Amino acid sequence: MLIKNGFVFDPLNGINGEKMDIAIKDGKIVESVNDRNAKTIDATGLTVMPGAVDIHTHIAGGEVNTGRMIRPEDHIKDVVRKTALTRSGTGYSIPSTFVTGYRYSKMGYTTVMNPSMAPLGAKHTHEELNDIPLLDKASYPLIGDWWFVLEYLQKGDLEGCARHVAWMMETTKGYAIKIVNPGGLESWGFGRNVHTIDDQVPNFGITPREIICGLAKVNKMLNLPHSIHLHTNNLGIPGNYVTTLETMKALESVATNGKPVCHITHLQFSSFAGDSWRNMRSAAEEISKYINNHNHMTFDMGQIIFTDTTTMTADGPFEYTLYQLSGHKWVNSDVETETSGGIIPMRYKRTSAVNATQWSIGLELALLVKDPWKMFMTTDHPNAGPFFKYPKIIAWLTSRKARMATLKKCHKKAQKKSLLPSIKRELSLYELAIVTRAGQAKALGLKDKGHLGVGADADVAIYNINPEQLDIAKKYKTARRAFGNAVYTIKDGKVVVKDGEVVQHVDGKTIWLDVETTEEMKVDEEMKRKFKQYWTVEYENYPVFDHYVKVSDAITVKASV
Amino acid sequence: MSVINAVTCPICGCLCDDIEVTVVNNEVVKIKNGCAVCEAKYLGYKSEHRIRKPLIRKEGKLVPVSMDEAIHKAGEILANANYPILYGWSSTNCEAQRVGVELAEEVGGVLDNTAVVCHGPSLLGTQEVGIPTSTLGQIRHRADVIMYWGCNPWSAHPRHLERYTSFTEGRFEDSEWMSYVNKVKAAAGRKKLLSAQRREEPKKAHATAAESVVFNKPPETLQKEGRKLIVIDVRKSMSAEMADYFIQVQPNKDYELMQAMRALVRDEELDVDEVAGVPVEYLREVVDLLVNCNFGVIFFGMGLTHSAGKFRNIEVAISLTRDLNMRTKFLIMPMRGHFNVSGANIVFAWQSGYPFGVDFSLGYPRYNPGETTSMDVLLRGESDAALVIASDPGATFPKRAIQSLVKHPLIVIDPHMNATAMLGDVVFPTAFVGIEVEGTAYRMDNVPLPLKKVVEPPEGVLSDEEILKRILKEVRLIKSQKTNQKTEVS
Amino acid sequence: MIVLTPLKKFQFPVHAECINPDVFQGKSVKGIASLTVWEGNKKKKLGDLFKIEETSAETPHITINGDATEVRRIGQGMKNGEIVINGNAGMHVGEKMAGGKITVNGNASGWTGSSMKKGLIEIHGDASDYLASPYRGSSEGMRGGKIVVDGNVGSDSGCYLRGGVIIIKGNAGPFLGFHISKGAIYVEKNAGPRLGANMTGGKIVVSGVVEDLMPTFTVDNVKGKVKIDDTLKVEGPFYVFLGDLAEHGNGKLFVSKPNNPQLGSVYDKYL
Repeated sequence: MLIKNGFVFDPLNGINGEKMDIAIKDGKIVESVNDRNAKTIDATGLTVMPGAVDIHTHIAGGEVNTGRMIRPEDHIKDVVRKTALTRSGTGYSIPSTFVTGYRYSKMGYTTVMNPSMAPLGAKHTHEELNDIPLLDKASYPLIGDWWFVLEYLQKGDLEGCARHVAWMMETTKGYAIKIVNPGGLESWGFGRNVHTIDDQVPNFGITPREIICGLAKVNKMLNLPHSIHLHTNNLGIPGNYVTTLETMKALESVATNGKPVCHITHLQFSSFAGDSWRNMRSAAEEISKYINNHNHMTFDMGQIIFTDTTTMTADGPFEYTLYQLSGHKWVNSDVETETSGGIIPMRYKRTSAVNATQWSIGLELALLVKDPWKMFMTTDHPNAGPFFKYPKIIAWLTSRKARMATLKKCHKKAQKKSLLPSIKRELSLYELAIVTRAGQAKALGLKDKGHLGVGADADVAIYNINPEQLDIAKKYKTARRAFGNAVYTIKDGKVVVKDGEVVQHVDGKTIWLDVETTEEMKVDEEMKRKFKQYWTVEYENYPVFDHYVKVSDAITVKASV
Repeated sequence: MSVINAVTCPICGCLCDDIEVTVVNNEVVKIKNGCAVCEAKYLGYKSEHRIRKPLIRKEGKLVPVSMDEAIHKAGEILANANYPILYGWSSTNCEAQRVGVELAEEVGGVLDNTAVVCHGPSLLGTQEVGIPTSTLGQIRHRADVIMYWGCNPWSAHPRHLERYTSFTEGRFEDSEWMSYVNKVKAAAGRKKLLSAQRREEPKKAHATAAESVVFNKPPETLQKEGRKLIVIDVRKSMSAEMADYFIQVQPNKDYELMQAMRALVRDEELDVDEVAGVPVEYLREVVDLLVNCNFGVIFFGMGLTHSAGKFRNIEVAISLTRDLNMRTKFLIMPMRGHFNVSGANIVFAWQSGYPFGVDFSLGYPRYNPGETTSMDVLLRGESDAALVIASDPGATFPKRAIQSLVKHPLIVIDPHMNATAMLGDVVFPTAFVGIEVEGTAYRMDNVPLPLKKVVEPPEGVLSDEEILKRILKEVRLIKSQKTNQKTEVS
Repeated sequence: MIVLTPLKKFQFPVHAECINPDVFQGKSVKGIASLTVWEGNKKKKLGDLFKIEETSAETPHITINGDATEVRRIGQGMKNGEIVINGNAGMHVGEKMAGGKITVNGNASGWTGSSMKKGLIEIHGDASDYLASPYRGSSEGMRGGKIVVDGNVGSDSGCYLRGGVIIIKGNAGPFLGFHISKGAIYVEKNAGPRLGANMTGGKIVVSGVVEDLMPTFTVDNVKGKVKIDDTLKVEGPFYVFLGDLAEHGNGKLFVSKPNNPQLGSVYDKYL
């Protein structure tokens, strides 16, 4: 295939809107192809970017599915008919699996990361990932409150912990170490929580600080492609920016080789100043100042969209807090030995001073952090908003006019507190390509994603935007429509979406890590006995067997332990 | 001979995965660790009721036919139906359930599972108020108050207490097994003493040992250390016999009892002296116990889903649990029956958005229990064909619904010639999932577990998944032929 | 006025959202006949299933002559005009109605007037379950308008009511007014168990027998009469109960004192 004459934005290879051809063969980007034999796509006047990457989106697994089951009233307003090529389904804030694949692909997305997988339910997550078409995907196992991890770290046995985490990664066919409210989830087992990173986790004699730093070190020892992926303590509580700063400071000592050691996800929820909901305000200034002066972290936004959506996280105590605030139907789903979880429907309103301030915080963070390679675009779907509303965020990031138009409709208190009026910055298409694909792929350590250099996976998105003719800052509505409906989405060198319609089916791969430690973790009788005590399933039945992954893409990682 | 470990038992929602199966010459000869029901299935699945060949009803009688003929007939029935029902799904694996969704979507029918006669109300309840729950291991490790409301695990989920609740060793709570054994011994001892006394003084009238069950005051032992077991039911079941405290609730009054408990948890005063046969002062003591425990859990079953109030009984039980979380940690869990009924709800939900009663007739999934559930469709006589798999509505549905079922073409997929199969027009023999076919199933707490194949199925008998795939292919072929004919004609 | 006559007895459910004065407005008979409906899983035209005739020039006005038990979503979301059904009506009639009038000269099925916003629904027979109640999982109940049922209603009627009036001249099934927060419901005859469960506001008035009052209601006083809406005041005397205590609710149940002597032994001592 040959994509001719498009305006190419490929930040990982430094290409900024150059008119060039992209050649594809056998699912990969190549130097060139034989013009006469190749299928040609005329991309004249169109923007060509690598397929988009979403570093954090809840789309598969036990928690997501429980969310689906309890919200028929969410699905009924967004139905998707069966066609000759596509399956039927329902959408809105928690789409069914087929619809998830189709809708992401229509926006030019080709790789998505499911960020919360309870290891005990990993088979479920993978079964659902198998049913998400047109995308490559991976999942992060929740390790931060795992009893084995807490015990190893409490003993100070980093190597033992590392070997165990390596085993866990393979066993669950996971991609990265996910940590949520470390120490808080185990405390929630008895209905409690932690409030500072130096609180003792009941029954385990360890602190969140020790968990975070310990796992960051383990991550380095294992040479995992992505850093630890962290949902901070005290999420969603006014004044929590202090915890976020403390967390980032605590990790400074772990950062030694210039690579980020931690990714803080949906940072908006962790950047509140004030001490109550009445005087809650943005701490984006304090947080971005720190980020601008340090290089050991990456982040994603967790941008609010004003709509009816569903919150779902492993942060059980936080979800209960949301229940206390809203009175909405509340699901709690703790998982033995591993983690907790909760689900609550949530409506974000412009007329709510708190919601509007939250909306502003996400954008402030994205625009005040100078280096786009540090801050990526997400909504923590569906927590802050459904993913198919991403084009709105693109408009807000690239057009001051767009965000001021929305700000004007917000609660007056939020308008007054917002830093947005003083922010003139508008992301360029190049920077946009970083925060929606290149930066995400780089942070994830996915070498063949997020760029269009030779050897990359042939995942390409072509949008109806002519940078020479369209000023996306002025005509943000046009830009929004363009990013919502790719002219072409190409996956593994095949056209899967054309003009916003699915034209071909592709399964997509499930990416996971096959971590090779120099010393195998001992699975002896002692370990099996402990396993039987901790879980209610047999050791033999715990792993995600190969047949659970329809199309497997195992990445071998050589650990230093 | 081979001994297979860590086998997952395919019977009830406990989904015990520690069964040891001994196989000799392709026959299961011994079972270790399983309960009586598990043993009965593994040792008895090769009964004389097993169907060996596909059957079609010709001139009123079911006669053996080739697989191809049966597939073609089934395909025709479904492809030509205006409003077919595809029902059952709870005793097969997720792999087959997935094909089921695709088939229901292809034929524009109603996809429904046995929840509609079982825990459907529980799903409806969670759709109203959510559900504070967990996996079973959390109960094992942490629970010091365990309640069984409207269910009888002793009979229906025999290993539940020994694997997950009162009689297990947890990290933070010990097993109450010894305490229970001592209680049983003491009760036996008391009985011996009483009968010895009666023999000594035959003429003396003795007060009956039976306490007035309805006004049963909370016993002193309810304040003991360690796990406490409370059973609430309309009658003293075998599970109630094991409990530290049994509360007898008046039939169809569970809703009032739970709502009253909610009010007490919220420190409200009640005007009445008694609710559902339980004096309010005793109720207050029970609520005190619940509010002061470390970690409580309510398991519930058909006693709540099927008595007056139905899904609202579940809704109020969940609301009570949720309200208790203001004071302590409390969770709730439905005692799912079939070993993969959860799996069917889960698979349907991720593929369509809805857990059961999914109507594909308009080309997209629709859900409205009472309107789109199979039972109601049958009672109103709206369907014109049906496929039944991994269930037995012929034995469990009301008479009028079955009459509606047999009025129209009925396809049955089952290992046994059960009540439904006897009424079928096309019958497919199938292999037992979890014994002759491997796959995935979901436990009552939604934990996925692998099912093993321990023996080969009988010659020529396929799996549910395979039969469904063939029917789906045939339906697509027939439909495309019809479209081609139409275009030819025009 | 458009007259629709079913061409046969429908076995399969018929989805006829298009039977709506706002949709028929401005269309010819031919145009109306070509509107999409579904019969079971087959897409059809309205003219395939109904005989369509235009009589006097009074639009927008629709009359259905015949049994419409299987015809669903008639008048859904309508804003203007009138529909008269001379026969039984199918499910979801008048769902999310925002104005106009629907008259059913027969019985109505489930979810009649579900989440109604405005308008008037008159049912001269019985109504089934979930009258005016919202869709599964939703708490957005009827917000305004008026529903009058001459006969009985089934269970779970008026759930999550947050405005408007429901008048039932016959008996009401269980869970009437579940989680009502505003608005009024009046039952001329008897009310089934769990009346007003989870009530947080609004009022329910019962002139007949209340089978089993919820234990989470507390008696406040006795009132001589009570106002249902601007057109209706009902003579008591009524016990006035406040509740539902389990929700710290401020709803009011007015229960006929003379017709409920069984309540006297429990509650009179508090008055």
